[in-house]
Amino acid sequence: MAKLEAVIGRYCYLTVDGVEYRVYFEENGRGIPLLCQHTAGSDGRQWRHLLNDPEVTSKYRVIVPDLPYHGKSLPPQSVDWWKAEYKLTKSFFIDFLVELKHCLELKRPAFIGCSMGGNLALDLALERPDEFKAVIGLEGADYTPGLDIIWFNHPRISGEFKFANLYESTAPAGPENNRREIGWVYSQSAPPVFRGDLYYYSREHNLTGQLGRIDTSRIPVYLLCGEYDFASTPEMCRRTASQIKGAKYTLMEGLGHFPVAENYQLFKRYLMPVLNEIANMR
Amino acid sequence: MTVAFLDPLKIGRLRQSINQDAEFKLAARYMSEDVLFEVDKARSIVRVRNGEISEIKIGPSPDESWSFGISAPAASWEKLLQQIPPPFFTGLNAAMMRRHLQITGNLELAFAYLWALNRILDIMKQPGNE
Repeated sequence: MAKLEAVIGRYCYLTVDGVEYRVYFEENGRGIPLLCQHTAGSDGRQWRHLLNDPEVTSKYRVIVPDLPYHGKSLPPQSVDWWKAEYKLTKSFFIDFLVELKHCLELKRPAFIGCSMGGNLALDLALERPDEFKAVIGLEGADYTPGLDIIWFNHPRISGEFKFANLYESTAPAGPENNRREIGWVYSQSAPPVFRGDLYYYSREHNLTGQLGRIDTSRIPVYLLCGEYDFASTPEMCRRTASQIKGAKYTLMEGLGHFPVAENYQLFKRYLMPVLNEIANMR
Repeated sequence: MTVAFLDPLKIGRLRQSINQDAEFKLAARYMSEDVLFEVDKARSIVRVRNGEISEIKIGPSPDESWSFGISAPAASWEKLLQQIPPPFFTGLNAAMMRRHLQITGNLELAFAYLWALNRILDIMKQPGNE
């Protein structure tokens, strides 16, 4: 008998700024929709443990898209994308998630994102608070400058740099195979994608002085940060949460920048109280 | 603390351990560079030729050059070389990003071989190489 996962993958077509995208997503579970956003330069594979966790999928319909240009979501057919530098903009990122929500007819899903997805959680809370039931930002902060370095997209530097670099971003005591897998996935993205995503992460996303405008009575905000994260440090995350009235901050000991992928069983101890709290909200 | 690449009694074994390491062989293939390691003011040059360490030279002379350098105070090296390093010391890039270490000279070359360089750190944590 074949050993099959319950996770299924499909494509949907959606339009952002007049451009149609064929978007790959995976899903599993029934209940509250939970939209999961991968990190910069990666794809939805990093959510595979969550997608397969019955404790989550018994309460949540977990939905994991690959952003256009990432994973199995190819660049659009109607654009000469090879003639322009790939850059993820804040407006596209927000519009894409909201359009996906509409495309899949999701009624007030919860949102969880990591790294640039963690930053997006804050942007969604500020700009589209009524679209989502709650946002969970992993490894996100109000402002995360300085990461869009040229070496992430340089003709003389191979994908091995990403393989080594992102491995360092995980906590050292986590499962070795998972830590290597993160680097493996990073080394597979098309050359401009990681740095192009970091355009949003390090430049366009900047909520300095704006966090006080997030209304957690309209959209609950949870921020969780790994002890070992050197990109969006626990101090940056804690400082961000402290400026949002009602936001809840959790330090995740023994985890790094990729908690959901690097050590899911440990991450789950921090995640489940949040998911249970959201599930019990009206 | 004594870092192995500065200890005349340890550099022979360290060189052997690195050259026998399967992952280093993969990561350092095609690498032919001279890497300066600095702990405070103490220095050594690790010479790599075609993916193998050909020499570890403690205290290079003033007329020698190198491809790039890795420079940090002893306190940073001590953290980098712990079996379970503390936050921000999980590798050269992490420590550099948080300004606990400097990569000097040709950063492009250093990043091209980051995998190999971090593997050297891992091997320096192994029993007998600490």
